[in-house]
Amino acid sequence: MAMMTGDQYRASLRDGRVTFIEGERVEDPATHPLLKTAVDVAADVYDKLYSPEPDATSPIYFIPQSKEDMETRRVALEGASDMTSGTSSVSAMSIAMAAPDLAKANPVYRQRIYDYIDYVRKHDLRLAEAVTDAKGHRKLRPHQQHDPDMYVRVVDRNADGVFITGCKMHISAASIEHELVIFPTKAMRPGEEAYAFGGAVAVNAPGVTIIDTTYAPHGEDLRHYPVSSKRNTPEGYVVLDNVFVPNERIWLDGEVEYAGVLASALGLWERTGGGTYKQREGEDRIVGLAALMAEANGVADEPHIHDKLATLMIFATMCRAGHEAAWANATTNEDGNLIPSTLFISATKYYQNELQDRMIDILHDIAGTMVSNAPTMGDFENPDLRPMLETLLETPGFTAEERLKLYHYIRDTTADAFGGWSSVTGKQAGGGQYAQRIVTSRNYDMERAKEIARRTVGIGHGAVAAGKEQS
Amino acid sequence: MLTGDQYRESLRDGRRSYIDGKVVEDAAAHRLIGKSVDWVAKTYDAHYSADAGASNPMYQLPRTKEELQAQMDFLLTSDPTAASTAGSMALRNVAPELGSANPAYRERLEAFLDSCRDKDFRVSIAQSDLGGPVRIVERRDDGVVIRGGKHHVIGGAVVHELIVVPARAMGPGEEDMAVACAIPANAAGVKMVSTTTAPQSKDDRHFPYSRDHSVPDTIVMFEDVFVPSDRVFLAGEVEKSGALNETLGIWERARSTAAQADQAEILLGMANTIAEMNGVADAAHIRDKLATMAVYARLCRAGWEAALAHARTTETGMVVPDDSYIYAVRAYGVTNYSEMAGWVHDIGGALILTAPTVADFENEATHMYVEKYMSTGATVKGEDRMRIFHLIRDLTAERYSGWAKISNQMIGGGMFAQKLAALDTYDIESARSKASSAAKVNDGS
Repeated sequence: MAMMTGDQYRASLRDGRVTFIEGERVEDPATHPLLKTAVDVAADVYDKLYSPEPDATSPIYFIPQSKEDMETRRVALEGASDMTSGTSSVSAMSIAMAAPDLAKANPVYRQRIYDYIDYVRKHDLRLAEAVTDAKGHRKLRPHQQHDPDMYVRVVDRNADGVFITGCKMHISAASIEHELVIFPTKAMRPGEEAYAFGGAVAVNAPGVTIIDTTYAPHGEDLRHYPVSSKRNTPEGYVVLDNVFVPNERIWLDGEVEYAGVLASALGLWERTGGGTYKQREGEDRIVGLAALMAEANGVADEPHIHDKLATLMIFATMCRAGHEAAWANATTNEDGNLIPSTLFISATKYYQNELQDRMIDILHDIAGTMVSNAPTMGDFENPDLRPMLETLLETPGFTAEERLKLYHYIRDTTADAFGGWSSVTGKQAGGGQYAQRIVTSRNYDMERAKEIARRTVGIGHGAVAAGKEQS
Repeated sequence: MLTGDQYRESLRDGRRSYIDGKVVEDAAAHRLIGKSVDWVAKTYDAHYSADAGASNPMYQLPRTKEELQAQMDFLLTSDPTAASTAGSMALRNVAPELGSANPAYRERLEAFLDSCRDKDFRVSIAQSDLGGPVRIVERRDDGVVIRGGKHHVIGGAVVHELIVVPARAMGPGEEDMAVACAIPANAAGVKMVSTTTAPQSKDDRHFPYSRDHSVPDTIVMFEDVFVPSDRVFLAGEVEKSGALNETLGIWERARSTAAQADQAEILLGMANTIAEMNGVADAAHIRDKLATMAVYARLCRAGWEAALAHARTTETGMVVPDDSYIYAVRAYGVTNYSEMAGWVHDIGGALILTAPTVADFENEATHMYVEKYMSTGATVKGEDRMRIFHLIRDLTAERYSGWAKISNQMIGGGMFAQKLAALDTYDIESARSKASSAAKVNDGS
């Protein structure tokens, strides 16, 4: 087998899959108005990474074992990444990270995982991270729910495999990918064996139904949505109705004590941002947008603007620092796969999300109401309107069109459907803010902290040089 | 008075209105603007009376705190052009001051406001300048010619009259920019460019609020528009130029403070409902978040009530809520709003974005899956939970909410400006004397 081109990828999605959007069946994702852009973006990445060599494989499946490997990955994927390549990398790296632990449950699982990664690599497939269950009543365990299918579970089995039923929610890009990699949402307990399931099924397997939602813009002239019209991703509500999973695609089947291993491996890579390494730009972009808007609005020299920009700069720098620290403190697992520091990742993600919306508020305060009511490019091009709009909108250093583009970009990414999507998913990816607190608490070296305190105060077993520590 | 249908008909008046570069021939029939027209028409129908002397309550100036609260209650359940029309009526309070510059100004303004009431016309306020201030480019015996642009004219494309006022007080040398007047929306030389938060989807039922609560946010361009003298309320008297803006500002801040208290309660209500539906209402960390939101909602309400309790009545009879409380609670509400919306997102979860649509719920092929997996127990219908998620998305994570958040944040010059105004309007002497007497020092002031 060989790598796929963009067009081969497009064709590969016409495989009989059952997906719906806004109440209608999607016959072909590659031509559907609300999915086409997402497919095009993924196809473009296929084309960029494509090599005709028969043995060539995609760098998205290169599992890093060192920081040098991460750098190699970063260079190979520079300018060639999208949601589907991200979810594929994250899924593969997560099961690879869990492989040694799962081998303790059953040695065959480890082999199946690496065989599966070989398989998707060989066929150049895209993988969805199918993790979040419907969950039902959140305080009840899976087996206590009013409906036993609130968490995906094994409902039947035969010699060749198992049948699973349930629903995985908010599965990014699922309907434009090939495989669903099933992760348990969380750790399972004795009695919940049916729910301790990990494996993979094809998106077009019988019994799979996907209901999509999307922030892809509707309308005729999409230039008003400079970002979301060019890059968007459907979210899948993935229903598994008695779906068969063959034995070779199963790497957890009832061993409750290992369910958490898969869940937390995925959580870590999700929080890390799809395995991004040294390429964070989002927070610095906010600083840049605010600075440009201040200039365009003629207030760049105001002391209160300097003050606000400094707040944004501190935010951006702290976010970058947290990520760099996560990689500087990375470790490797038993199989040699590189793992960024869980502590730094979760603490940084919490910090960022705690402040992100406030930083956007500052950007809006500097930019003003034109963010939400700037005329569209269609208005600007109308000869009846253009001359007057040019006069009214241009400011020193900025043409009317440049100013409009700034407003449109900020609205699309922070104050419209895509902005809302980014804000909510930012908080929810890899678990909500509460989950980040829990993960941070679990990974923080509390003994060290207490020891420092004991030593400094001069109590307990570190009572020696209390006085010296003060200086 | 006009019925809703008469109002719809009245907008077919030859106005030059655009959206996305295309001419809106008939506002009532337009795919997006028509949704706003329907909303305004609903307010018309709700208050219609065939009696000759009847008029809508939005034209009556509240004279007491109780009347002001009652008017706010009415406006919070009506369309935004009712609010801008009621706001323009507040300009009656500036009439005497304008009259001191030129008695004709007072008579004209009062006559104009009376005529709006008698014709049951809706009015939008054109205040924020786009580019330089709107200015007089020609003075004639029978009127003035103005030029310039105003933006954030709420409802501009669906009202009858635009009241143009200076965005700030003008100084000597800026006489041509000290202009206030009324201009019919269909006047020659007026061009309106609107954006709207009305959903673009053909089936917009998963936008439960914005589908019938969107209003055009209009840029109005005046390309040498002639304004006859009887519609000119200020034309060069710079010393009076700040008065209109100031009065409108008082009214707008009062309205937005009352609205903020309601909005804070909706946020808390949505959070509490979805927490219960998700089965986590009694989890310790969820209760902590709900408590934060309850404190927010109570303080937003308290600020408005305190401002009302300390209201004063001006010489002209206008009820003015206390500025210091208004600014403080506005600054508090706006600064913390995103955090509160964030807690709704945190408690609700990603289904806020990914709950299937009403059409998916109705489609036979997916209906059972939507009901089954959106339900969280015997007492929670999947459909109900789906609808709550739609509301949360529409009100906190969509085009409408982005627009509403920014519009609200920027009232009074933005969240930082409002905070500074809270300091400037504070009775600082009282604070200082408390400190100095506690420290037993002579304040020296």
